[in-house]
Amino acid sequence: MFPQSTLMLSEIAEEYLECIYDLTQQGSTARTSDIAAKMKVAPASVTEMVQKLAADQYLVYEKYKGASLTDEGLLIARKIKRKHRLLERFLVDVIGVRHSQSHDEACRLEHVISDESERKICQITNNPRYCPDGDPIPECEDGDCINCPGDPAVPLKDLKAGEKGLIVYLKCEDPASIRRLISMGFVPGREVTLEEHVPFGGPLLVKIGECRVALAKEYADLVLMQRSSDQRTETGKARN
Amino acid sequence: MEIGLIGQPNVGKSVLFSKLTGIGAISSNYPGTTVEFQEGAVYRGGQRLNFHDLPGTYSLTGVSEDETVATRLLAEKELDVVVAVADATRLEQSMVLVFQLIELGFKVVVALNMMDVARKRCHVDITHLESILRVPIVPTVAITGEGVQDLVEVLLTAQVKPSDFKVRYDRHIEGMVENLSLEPESKTARFPARGALIKLLEGNPFFAEQFSHEFKVKVERDRDEFRRDHREEISVHINRDRYGEAGRIVKEVISNRIPPKGRADRISDLTLRPWTGIPIMLAVLAGVFLTVIFAGGFLESVLLGAYNALVGNFFIDLANAGGPFALALAKGVDLSLQAILSIVIPYIVVFYLILGLLEDTGYLPRMVILLDGIMHKMGLHGRAIIPMILGMGCNVPAILATRVMESRRERLILATITIMAVPCSAQTAVIMGTVGNYAGLLWAVAIYIILLIILLVLGRLLHKALSFEPTSLALEIPDLTWPRLRNVLWKTQVRSKDFFTVAFPLLLGGSIVLELLMEFKVLDAIVGPLSPFTLGFLGLPPVIIIALMFGILRKEMAMQLLVVLFGTSQLNSVLSNEQLFVFALIMATYMPCLSALAVMTREFGARDAAKVSLVSVALAFLLGGTAHFLFSVF
Repeated sequence: MFPQSTLMLSEIAEEYLECIYDLTQQGSTARTSDIAAKMKVAPASVTEMVQKLAADQYLVYEKYKGASLTDEGLLIARKIKRKHRLLERFLVDVIGVRHSQSHDEACRLEHVISDESERKICQITNNPRYCPDGDPIPECEDGDCINCPGDPAVPLKDLKAGEKGLIVYLKCEDPASIRRLISMGFVPGREVTLEEHVPFGGPLLVKIGECRVALAKEYADLVLMQRSSDQRTETGKARN
Repeated sequence: MEIGLIGQPNVGKSVLFSKLTGIGAISSNYPGTTVEFQEGAVYRGGQRLNFHDLPGTYSLTGVSEDETVATRLLAEKELDVVVAVADATRLEQSMVLVFQLIELGFKVVVALNMMDVARKRCHVDITHLESILRVPIVPTVAITGEGVQDLVEVLLTAQVKPSDFKVRYDRHIEGMVENLSLEPESKTARFPARGALIKLLEGNPFFAEQFSHEFKVKVERDRDEFRRDHREEISVHINRDRYGEAGRIVKEVISNRIPPKGRADRISDLTLRPWTGIPIMLAVLAGVFLTVIFAGGFLESVLLGAYNALVGNFFIDLANAGGPFALALAKGVDLSLQAILSIVIPYIVVFYLILGLLEDTGYLPRMVILLDGIMHKMGLHGRAIIPMILGMGCNVPAILATRVMESRRERLILATITIMAVPCSAQTAVIMGTVGNYAGLLWAVAIYIILLIILLVLGRLLHKALSFEPTSLALEIPDLTWPRLRNVLWKTQVRSKDFFTVAFPLLLGGSIVLELLMEFKVLDAIVGPLSPFTLGFLGLPPVIIIALMFGILRKEMAMQLLVVLFGTSQLNSVLSNEQLFVFALIMATYMPCLSALAVMTREFGARDAAKVSLVSVALAFLLGGTAHFLFSVF
C-alpha cells in the first residue's frame, strides 16, 4: 500500500525516459541511434519503445530528428534520476558501498523504491545536491525541506510540550550558534523531546539523549525538526 | 608526570581534582563553576603526579571561551596522560569528548564518574566499553572518593598507550582526510594527521593556526565542496557521525535501563514548571532573605554582646593614655573588629552557608531558566541571576562572578545593576537596622520595592544605551541532589576568607584615617558648608554627612556612626520616620564600598569604576532628595 508515482510505468519505460532525459540535457532531441548506443540495445527496439511512449504522450517523436520529453515525461524522468542519484549518495555515504558498485545498484533500486522512502533517504542524507560523481540531483517538486510534504520540518520551538522529534537540519546562519548547538549535542539524527516552554520569553526545556537542556528561542529557531509520527520511536540515536 | 583532567561541565571534575590532590577547588551543582583552571601536584609511589584541572567543555570544537582554553591547554601542557572524566549518567555526550581525545592521539584514561547514580538507573558493562574504546576505564564516585585510589594506581602502573579506536565518518569525509593526509604539509609536530585534519575540517581555530595558508585554502575548498554536495556544514556532519557512534556504543554497553522517575524528579519538574516554579522561586528567595535577616540579626546581637562583655572599652581605655593619635588608631581597630563581628560573621557567613546549600542542590540553574526571559528584556543573560544573588551577600564576589558573562558589556551592565540595585548584606543590615527597626517593616519593604523598580528601569536603560543583544541561553539542567555538609562548609570558609585577607586590611586602614580626620576636626569643617545640601535638599541633620562619608568605607559603619554622632542608640528619638527612610534609601543605592570599588577597578579599570561610583552617588542623592520633597509636599 505504498504510494507510487502518479502512473505506473514499466521499469524499461522508465529507463528509456531516464536515458532520453540524459541525452536531452544539452537542449536538443535524442536520436534513436544515440539511445540505442547508450542503452546497449538494437535501434529497432528503441524505435518500437519510443513510439509506444509517444503514443502515451510521455514524449514527442519526430522521425529523423529524434525524441524529446513532454512535461509529463520530464516529470517522471526527473523523479527517477533523483531517486537514482539520491540512492547513490545513500549507498556510498551512509552504508559504505563501494563507489564502483553503487551506480549499478542504484540503477536497479531506483525503480522499486517508494516516494516515501525517497523522502526518508533525502532527509537522512540531508537533501544533498550532488551525487558522488558530482552530477546534480534534480530538486524535489516541493522545493525545500521546510515544506517537505511527508514530514514538514518545523523549528524546534514550534513543537508542543511533550512532543518528540528528530533533528533533521541545522540552519547555518551564524557559525558560532551552530557550534554551540553542536557542542551541546544538537546534531541531526538525534531525538529531542520538548518538555516545556518557559513563559515571559524564557527558554525551551528539552530532553536530548540523557540530558535536559534549557535552550533559548534564538537557538531553538535554528534547529529544524521532523515530528515523530508516533511516540514509540526508540530513544534518540543518530543514523549510520 | 603531567596529567590533564578534562570533562563536560558539571561532571564532577573539580571534586575529583580535590580528591586527587587534596587542594580544594570550589564545586557546585551547576555547569561552569571552574572559570580558571587549577594545578596541583602530589607524590605517589615515588612519582610526582601533576594534575591540571581544565575548564569543563562539551567538545573540542573550539566555540566558546572555555573550549578554546581547554583545547589550547591540552595542546600546550605537554600532558603525559589525559584523564577524561565521563559521566556515567550522560554517557553518550561523554563519549563524544573521549572520541576527540583519542583522535588527537592523547593517552586517555577514562574516569567513569557518577557511578553511584548510574548504578541505580542501569547496568554499565565497563569491560565491554573498555574493549570497544581500548583505553583503561576506572569507575569512580568522586564525591565519596570511591575509585580515586584505583585511578591513581592505573596512572602509576598501567602503560597507557594511545588507543587505535576510530570513529567511522561519512565516506566523503574519510576520503577528504585521506587525500589531505597525502600532502606533506598536513603533518603537525604534536598531533596525528587524521586527528588534526578532522579538527581543521571542523573549523577549530587553534588547529587552523598550525597549518600553512596554502594548505588551509585547499581545506577550505573541501569544506565548500561538502557544503555544496550535502547542504550541510562539514562540522555538523562530523559531529553527527560522532553522536551516531556514541549512540551505538551506549546501546551496546548499557542494559536494564530503569526510567528515572523518583521523588527527586517530581520535585525537579515542579521547580521548572512555570506555575509551580515561580512560586517556589519566590519562596526560596524570600527564605534566603529572611534567614539572612533573622539568623544574622540574632548572631549579631550575640556576638556584639560577647564583644562588649569581653573587650568593652579595652581599646579606648588603652588609647586614652596615649593622646589623640593613639585614640584614633584604637577607635579604628575597635570599629573594624566590631564591623567584622556585626556584619561579616553574622550576615555574610550566614549568607554563604545558604548559598552553598542552594548551589549544591542544583536549584540555581532552575532559577536562571525561569528568569532568562525577563533578564533578556533587561539586556542580560539568565545566568546573570547568580552574580545578583551573590550580590545579596556582598558585591565583591558578585563582581568577580560576573566573569560567567560572555562579553565585557554584559559584565559591566550586570556589575552596575548589582552595585546600585541589589542590596548587599551590609545594606540590608542598615535598612533593617534603621527604618525596619524604628519606623516599621512597611517602610523597609517600600525601600525594597524602590530598589526593584530601579533594577528594572536601570537594566532597561543600560540595555538601550549599550544597544546590543545578550547572548542566548543554552544550559544543561543538573539533577537535584542533596547538599553535602562538608562541601558547603568548605566553600563558606574559602569564600569568607577573602573578607579577612582583602576587606579587613582595607577597612582597618580606612577606619584609622577617618578616625584621624574626625579627631583633628577635619570632618567637622565640611558639616557646616554642606548643610544646605544635607538639611535643605535631603532634610537630614547636617552632621549626618559624616555618617555618609563613612558609608563609603563600609555601609554598615554609616549606621554605627549615627549612634556615635547622635550619642544615643534610640535613633527614633533624634530622627523622624521620614528622615530614617531617606537615610536608608540613600545607603541602599549609595556608591560601592571601598572593597567593592577596589574589585571594580581591578576588573573594569579605574575609569569605569569611577563612572559607576559617580552615577550611583548621584542616583542615591537624587532619590533621597525626591523622597524628602515628596514627604514635605504630602
